[in-house]
Amino acid sequence: MVDVKKITQLLSDATSPDRVTDKDFDLISYSRDLSPAKQKLPSHVVLAETREEIQKILAIANKNDVPVYIRGGGTSHWDAFLPQEPGIMVDLARMNKVLEINERDLVVTVQPNCTWAKMDEELRKRGLTYLCSEAGGPAMTVGGSVMKAGGGPHSTAKFGFHGNQDVICLEMVLPNGDVVQTGSAAWPSAGKFERQCLGPDLAGMFLGAEGILGVCTELSLRIRPAVDFKERLSAVLPTLDDVVEFGHFINRHVGDEYLQGIYLWVAPDTPDLFFIMMDIFGYEPEIVKHRKKKILDKIAELGGEIADRAPADDYYDRILTGLTDLFTAGVWHFFGAGSLRIDDIKFLYKIWREELLEKRGYTKAGFGGQVLPRRWLAFMVTNYKEPEEWEELVKMADEIDEMTLKGPVVPYGVGGRDGLRQFVASHDTGYYRLLKTLKQTLDPKNILQRGIFIPEEELQ
Amino acid sequence: MRIEEFKDMIYACGRCNFCRGTDFNERCPEVFTQLWESSTLRGRMAIARGILEGQLDYSDDLAERIFGCFMCGRCREECKKAAQIDAIAITKAMRADFVDKGVKIPEGGTNMVDTAIDSGNIFADTPARHTKWAEGLTFKEGSGTLFYPGCLASHRFKEKTNILVKVLQAAGYELDFLGDDQTCCGTPFWISGKVGNAKEWAENYLKKLNARGVKEIITPCPSCFRAFDEEYPALLGLEEFPIRIRHTSEVLEEIVDKKKLKFKVSLDKRVTYHDPCEIGRYREIYDPGRKVLSSLPGVEYVEMSRYREEAFCCGGGGGVKIMYENHSNKVAEERINDFIDTEADILTTVCPACEMNLTHGTYAADVEARVLDIAELIAVAAGIVDKGILEPDYFPED
Repeated sequence: MVDVKKITQLLSDATSPDRVTDKDFDLISYSRDLSPAKQKLPSHVVLAETREEIQKILAIANKNDVPVYIRGGGTSHWDAFLPQEPGIMVDLARMNKVLEINERDLVVTVQPNCTWAKMDEELRKRGLTYLCSEAGGPAMTVGGSVMKAGGGPHSTAKFGFHGNQDVICLEMVLPNGDVVQTGSAAWPSAGKFERQCLGPDLAGMFLGAEGILGVCTELSLRIRPAVDFKERLSAVLPTLDDVVEFGHFINRHVGDEYLQGIYLWVAPDTPDLFFIMMDIFGYEPEIVKHRKKKILDKIAELGGEIADRAPADDYYDRILTGLTDLFTAGVWHFFGAGSLRIDDIKFLYKIWREELLEKRGYTKAGFGGQVLPRRWLAFMVTNYKEPEEWEELVKMADEIDEMTLKGPVVPYGVGGRDGLRQFVASHDTGYYRLLKTLKQTLDPKNILQRGIFIPEEELQ
Repeated sequence: MRIEEFKDMIYACGRCNFCRGTDFNERCPEVFTQLWESSTLRGRMAIARGILEGQLDYSDDLAERIFGCFMCGRCREECKKAAQIDAIAITKAMRADFVDKGVKIPEGGTNMVDTAIDSGNIFADTPARHTKWAEGLTFKEGSGTLFYPGCLASHRFKEKTNILVKVLQAAGYELDFLGDDQTCCGTPFWISGKVGNAKEWAENYLKKLNARGVKEIITPCPSCFRAFDEEYPALLGLEEFPIRIRHTSEVLEEIVDKKKLKFKVSLDKRVTYHDPCEIGRYREIYDPGRKVLSSLPGVEYVEMSRYREEAFCCGGGGGVKIMYENHSNKVAEERINDFIDTEADILTTVCPACEMNLTHGTYAADVEARVLDIAELIAVAAGIVDKGILEPDYFPED
C-alpha cells in the first residue's frame, strides 16, 4: 500500500511540487497506452527533468518499496509501460532535448523523450539525418523506441530495429541509482563514437528490455548525411509465395543499402490481394533509378502490377498500420505479432486466414508486416470499439497469440500482465533465467517496471 | 451529462499522442502552461471516459484542466489525422457539465457571464462608454449592413475600431451600428459553460436584428462571427443563421480584390501575421489577411515559424485570459517569441482578443513593437490615417 501523502512530499522535495501530482484526474491520463490493456493507475506522476532527479526518485522508491514505471510517449502496443500496481509514474516528457550533434563523428545525443520528428528536424538543418523511422509515427520518442527495440519502415531493411546498429552509447540510471555509460563513453576520457568497445556490449542488455534494468537518460545514435533521394512505389503481387521471393530479392540484391524493404498489407476483405509498399532510398539519383529498375523488373517477373501509390502515402504519412480510417473505426489492437524468417510469413498468414477470417469469422483484422534485414516483423491489426467489443477482441487475440507463438515466431514486445509475459515465462529457457538473474541482481527490490516482462512472482 | 452526447468520440481516442506534438509543448498551449498529460486531448478523453464510467467526478480541482483549455483547436487539427475528435465541442460540454452539476467554476467565468447579463457587455461599460469609439463617425441606420464590433473592440480598442470603420466606409460600405442597443454576442455563455441563458439571448438578438432590417453583419471579432454564424443556429435549431455574417478579414480582402481603395503610401515595414484560432483552424480562413498584406506597398512579409493550421495560440482563447490570466500571459509571451524570431517590425492579426493578448505579450517580453489589425495597415496605405501609428513608440489614447 503506497502512503500517498508521504510519497507526494518526498517526490516534491526531490523535484519540485509543481511537477508532482497525485490527483485522480491527472493519474487517469496515464492509465492506458495504445493497446487494449486494462486500465492501470499509478499512485503518483512525477515529471522528471534530470538524471539526478531520477536517481532521487529511485532512492525514494527503494526506501519505501514503491514501484517505479516509466512513461515515454505512452503509445506501447502491449502494456509495456503501464503501472502493473500503484506506484510512481516517471513522465519523461520534459527530458526531450537534442543535446549534441557531433557532425565530425556523425553522432547525435538526445534525451529519451526527444521524438524522432524533433531529432530529424534538427539534424536536417545541418544536412544530416538518422533516416530510420518509427512505425508508430513521428511523435514516438527515441528512448521509447530504443528501449522496446522498435522498428519502422524506412531503412530498417538495412539497419534493423532501432538500436540494432545505430545505438552508439546509452546513459542508464540503474535501479540502485548508479549511472552507467555504455560503449566508448564507458571510458571516461574517451568520447561517444562506438558501440562495441570495452568488454561486453552492455547496451544490448538494455535494448528491448522495456526498461526493467534501468532508466535511459541519454542516447547517442549514429547519423548520416541527408543526401538521400527517394522514390515511392506500390505494387500488387499475385501470391504470398511471390511476396516471399520479393523479400529475398530485396535482401540479397537491393536491400543492402537505404531501401525501405517492403511493407506488406493484406486487407481482410481481399485476402488474396498482396499489396506492397516501399520507399527506395539512395545517395545518388542514379542509384535510386538503378534500384527502381531492378525492383520494377522483379515485380514484372513475378507477375505483379504497379499500383496506386495513394495508400502508401497515407501509410507513410500517418501512423503505420494499413488500416484506412485509423481510429474513426475504433481503436487498435496489434496481435499475432512477432519476428520471423522471411519464408515463415506463410505460417502467420495461414493463422490469420484460416483461424481468424474463416474459422472465427473475424473479418476486421488486416495482415501486415515489414521486411527487416533477413526477417519479417509481421502482425495482425484491427479496429475495435471500446468498451463493447473489448472482451471478445482480447479473448480472440489471446487465442491467436498462443497459436502464433507456438510456431517460428519470436514475440515482439512482451509487456505486462496484459501483454505477452505469460508466454515468455512459460518458456523456462536459459535466456529467461539469465534475464531474471540480471533483474534480481540489478534491482533486488524489483522497483523498476515491476511486473513488466517478468511476473513479480517469478522474482520471489 | 452533456458529454454523453460525445461518447463515441471519447471512446474513439486511440491514445496515439498526435495531439501532444513532436516537441512536448509546441502545439498545445494548455500543456505549455500546465505540463500534465491531463491537459492534452488524449488526457481529456481519458478524464471524460473516467467520468462516463463513474471513476471520476467533476471537481473544483479538475476545473483548471478543463477551463484552462484555450480552445485553440490545435489538438483537434492534429486529430484530423487520427480519430477526428471534436475537442472543442467536448470541452464545451464538460464546462457546461460543471455548471449543471453545481461544481465551482473559475470566478472569472462566472463574473464574465453575470457582467454580460447585467450590463450588456463583458466590461460593465455604460452604453456611453461602450460606444465612445464611434465618436465622430456617422452610420446609416437601416442600411442593412450592420457593423458589429463586439465587446472587446468596443471597450479596449477604440482607436483601432474607429480606424476600421473609416476604412470600410472609405471603401463604400454603408454601415449601420446598434449604438446603445449593442450587447454582447453571448460567447461568454458557452465559454464558461453557463449556457442556461444562451438560447433566450440568441432569440432576443435575432429579433432585434430582424426588427432593424439587418441583412448582413460585419464583425472584426472571430468569436462574435462564430457566435452568429455557428452558435445561434445550433441554439435556435436553424440550419443556418438567416442573416449573412462576414468577418472583416473577408471584407478587407474584398476591398483589395475589387480595388475599392487606392494604396498610395508605402509602409516600409517588415510585417508578419498571426492566425487567430477561431477564424484560422475553426474556419480555415487563412489567406485573406495574407492577401491584404501582400497588396500593400512597402510591406516585406515574413511568416512566423508556426503559422496557418500550425499557428500557436495567442493565449487569449477559451476565456483563459479572464480565468487563469497567468497562463494566458505565458502563452502570449511565447507567441511573441515567435514574432521576435521573424525580426519583423509589426505583428498583425485580425482579432481583437489576439491583439490584446499579443500586445500584453510585447509588454511581458519587453519588446517595442506594435500589434496591429490589418485594417490599420490598410488605413495607412490608403492615406486614411497617419503613418505614425506603425511606429513602436506610438501609444494610442485608448
